[in-house]
Amino acid sequence: MMVLLDVRNLTIHYMTERGVLRAVEDVSFQLEKGETMGLVGESGCGKTSIALAIMRTLPDNVCFSSGELLFDGEDILAIPAERYDQEIRWRKISMVFQGALNSFNPVLRIGFQVAEPLMQSRKISWDKARGEVARLFSMLGLPEETIWRYPHELSGGMKQRAMLAMALILRPKLVILDEPTSALDVSVQTQIMNLLKRLKRDMGLAMIFITHDITLASDICDRISVMYAGELVELGDADDVLTNPLHPYTRKLLAATPRLRGDRPPEYIPGSPPDLVNPPSGCRFHPRCPVMFDRCISVRPPMFSSGRVKVRCLLYG
Amino acid sequence: MPAREWRVFWSSPTSKAGVLLLASMTIVSLYVLITYPQDFGLRIWNNPGYWADYPKEAPPSWVNLFTADKLPEHMVILTDSPAYTYSDGQYYKVYRLDFQYEYSDTPSFLSITLGPAIFYGRPPYLEITVERPDGLTVPLYFATAGTVLPEETPPYRRFDPSQRIFLSGEEQVARSLQLFLRMNNVDLSYNDVARLGPERIIFLELSGEGLGERVLKGRYIVNVVFIGDTHDDNLSWAKFVVGGKVYGLSGTDRIGRDLAAGLLFGFPVALLIGLVTSVLTTSIGSSLGIMSGYIGGRVDEIIQRVSDILNNIPLLPLLIFFTFIFKPSIWLIVMILVVFGWSGLTIVVRSIVLQVKSEQYVEAAVSLGAPRWRIMSRHVFPRIAPFILAQMILSTPSAILAEASLSFLGLGDPSLPSWGQMLDYSFRSGGVNIGLWWWIIPPGVLIVVTGLTFILLSLGLEPVVSPRLRRMR
Amino acid sequence: MSLVRVLALKAVTLILVLFGVLMLVVLVLGATGVSDRILTAYVGEQLRAVRQELSQRIRDPVELERALETYRSELITAYGLDRPWYTRLPQMILRVLILDLGSSRTVTSFSGSSKVSDIILERLPNTVALVTTAVAISSAVGIALGARAALKAGSRYDRAVSLFSSVSFALPSWWMGLIYILAFSFYLGIFPFGGLYSTPPPTTPLERAADILWHATLPVLTLVTVILGGWAYISRTIVLNVTREDFVAVARAKGLKENLLMRRYIIRPAAPPIVTNIVFAISGSIGGAILTETVFNFPGMGRLYYEAITSFDENLVIALTYLYTLIYIASRFILEILYVVLDPRVRI
Repeated sequence: MMVLLDVRNLTIHYMTERGVLRAVEDVSFQLEKGETMGLVGESGCGKTSIALAIMRTLPDNVCFSSGELLFDGEDILAIPAERYDQEIRWRKISMVFQGALNSFNPVLRIGFQVAEPLMQSRKISWDKARGEVARLFSMLGLPEETIWRYPHELSGGMKQRAMLAMALILRPKLVILDEPTSALDVSVQTQIMNLLKRLKRDMGLAMIFITHDITLASDICDRISVMYAGELVELGDADDVLTNPLHPYTRKLLAATPRLRGDRPPEYIPGSPPDLVNPPSGCRFHPRCPVMFDRCISVRPPMFSSGRVKVRCLLYG
Repeated sequence: MPAREWRVFWSSPTSKAGVLLLASMTIVSLYVLITYPQDFGLRIWNNPGYWADYPKEAPPSWVNLFTADKLPEHMVILTDSPAYTYSDGQYYKVYRLDFQYEYSDTPSFLSITLGPAIFYGRPPYLEITVERPDGLTVPLYFATAGTVLPEETPPYRRFDPSQRIFLSGEEQVARSLQLFLRMNNVDLSYNDVARLGPERIIFLELSGEGLGERVLKGRYIVNVVFIGDTHDDNLSWAKFVVGGKVYGLSGTDRIGRDLAAGLLFGFPVALLIGLVTSVLTTSIGSSLGIMSGYIGGRVDEIIQRVSDILNNIPLLPLLIFFTFIFKPSIWLIVMILVVFGWSGLTIVVRSIVLQVKSEQYVEAAVSLGAPRWRIMSRHVFPRIAPFILAQMILSTPSAILAEASLSFLGLGDPSLPSWGQMLDYSFRSGGVNIGLWWWIIPPGVLIVVTGLTFILLSLGLEPVVSPRLRRMR
Repeated sequence: MSLVRVLALKAVTLILVLFGVLMLVVLVLGATGVSDRILTAYVGEQLRAVRQELSQRIRDPVELERALETYRSELITAYGLDRPWYTRLPQMILRVLILDLGSSRTVTSFSGSSKVSDIILERLPNTVALVTTAVAISSAVGIALGARAALKAGSRYDRAVSLFSSVSFALPSWWMGLIYILAFSFYLGIFPFGGLYSTPPPTTPLERAADILWHATLPVLTLVTVILGGWAYISRTIVLNVTREDFVAVARAKGLKENLLMRRYIIRPAAPPIVTNIVFAISGSIGGAILTETVFNFPGMGRLYYEAITSFDENLVIALTYLYTLIYIASRFILEILYVVLDPRVRI
């Protein structure tokens, strides 16, 4: 298989009124063509920052960033902004943003907003672009007349489908989905998940699926990477990670998911997510870790390989 | 305000500026409240007699700092200790009023005021002369202290409480000046002398050819001689006023009012109007809004309809109408501003309350059976309190502006002189067309600064009210 | 269909407001006895006119007086002066509605008529022209300033715009006018002190137009100075909120050209809330206009208001109060329509 996206030592710091916030610290992973990777972690752990870095839409208050993002072998952080805009943005990499409910401009028609990237890249008119939008809408199960609707006239599920249509309009190789179902109710969530699976199968899309819900990720992802406090703590095939979680955080995360069957009540993770302005020393998880030992406080664990899985925990060193 | 909110508020320079300004205005207002008489408006400010001995339309005295030729300052010389002499059966009391005159221009007017006189025999004789620095003595005024009526018995009292002689407008003064000039070989017609007035003739150099252009600088002595028949004939005091061409910190207006006094008095008036109006408007508006949002149903319907209608009324025309029909009074203005001003806040507060009401902790409190008033005061009100406070502060300048505008239209409350009224008079009497800047700029600047103070405060409160606006950086 | 309903509801509210203001005005007039005075004066006036006419026909003075007396009592009954004031309310409202308010005391129209309606209608166009020009200029400039400040939020430019807006919020229009007169007319001498025409007015149409423009510059500038800040502040706040919306981030991510993004995703969605806020600012603009006209001796309704107040001309004051309410309500309604056109969310 060919590597599509190679993230190497990505680090992103923000300047806030309290100080420097280390949102992403030394994150590396690879994504192959047509592969779906889940990026799992609590909110505020840096998942969205990684997505924004790939989209090159990080907010203005980034004060430090380093690392490489190789897309098809080329570092897309290093190329000029104009070239990124002309060749990569939305044409090769697109994104479904978190909170689809507010992702549409309330005063423009849905179809028009979906067609905009197409109109701009091919320099065609709205009349000409409409056919393509209609085709995509029917593929995603949206009635054709939705084109003429305004955002407030659509349900959450319909908006999410329209967002997907917008992300797919230029037929990209990689789509980043940032919590694509979290604002939807469960039955609509299932519909969207099924739609995503179909797209993955039919279009050969590579996807980065960002979620805080590890079971949801297991439903669609080939591989799963778990983030904690800005760091990647575990990375491996979905099956491996789910059946045999190595990092104490991943274990806790899985144990915290309620199950329909089984006599075990869901556990909770003691403590609260760390403050990324003053992250804990050593392993960032040590204050909440059930198996913590002395070295965890002083030594920052590197990524260890344990079988096919990589894990950032001193237990495996 | 809890400590955290206070820190956020205090962290912005706008809040600091606002607090500082408000504190200074409060101090000035307190000073005025303590030192000014209660009937300042009617007895002093709007009483032209009080301001008779002040220069008219004089710029502030600090303009002298910027010019080579110094304009005369206003001078008031008073004495109550005369020199006694006795000769030929007459008792002379000489009130000596001396002053140094070092200005490049003549005074604007001269006047003398005499305190109560008492006598037992014939009416005493009064003699007023001026000794110039060049040694010449100018006779000014001669008179007896009235006549004794047949039915009167001693002691006779005159000039009670005081007698003012406006030397610059007195016919007798002009006559004696004409005589004085003639004695010094200057021949001028009575009309010319009257036009020039004592303020020029006394204070200009005299040469053989006539009245000079230059001001005679040096020590002047005004002698008020009171000549009585008995030892007990007495004049309490004498006051000589050299009308300046500059006055005080803020100058004077057309009738000689010390503008600094009016400007100071404007502080408590503006704060009073602004704060009373905003406190009333905000408390009515927010409590109706909370009721409307929380109780709902018929109450909500009625409150919303009424505020919708009130919200659509143009305020200034109605304010004009009401103050025109009724007697202009500050309380009427405040009342109208409150009656027509609460509706906007009600609508906003209602929508916030509806939002808060649907939040989990409020629903939890409801399901626990907490009484309605308790939920409102414990849960709903604290949430919207900062917003209401900000609104209250923000509505203050509009009340101040409304009063100023009405005053400017001539509908001000005469018992409470305000900055708007000062500007009304300056505009009405054409002060702007002759460039009396000291009469026009300061009152307006104070209106703007007062308004700005409250705007700065509400800007400073903004990050407390809507944390969403707090910057990331 | 429901669009019509939304607007109809608004129209009904506004008409209710107009009617409410009228009621209030008339009630106050009746209760304070002012309306009696007005009507009595009106009767006296008509009697004078009739006396002249009758004196041509009836030579006998006694008979003339008797005829006049009959006519007077007829008039008193007709105007309802013999009945308590509250029975005349509907009539009074009607009279105000059609501006049938008789004559002014001292103020006359430029053509010499002292009929209230003549005087007012003659000045109405001047006021409308002044206010619309000022509002048009300040809205265009204000939105541009505010939007730019929002996009550069936190910059020195933004702070300057915010400071200017705060100051202008506290700035009385009439004082600003006085300052402009002091600066531009008294010290610099480049603009006239007031009025709308030179005396004598220039003869050629072109010169006439230039003359009017020259006279109108300072009044317009004054109004613009005072309203501009409000527009800039409102636009800044709303645009700033819009730029933080998710859909702007999405549009940016999908690579829309910056000027397109600005137009479609920031200015366009910001337009409806800006209009809503402007609805509330209109009252201020009208108030500002009244006072600005006063300062510049501008021959409009605002100056007329001032003249009516200072000469205690009740009829004029009533008529102007009513007409200003009417103008205010009309402009609000226009803005409501504009809002409905701009925001698809209220159209369903």
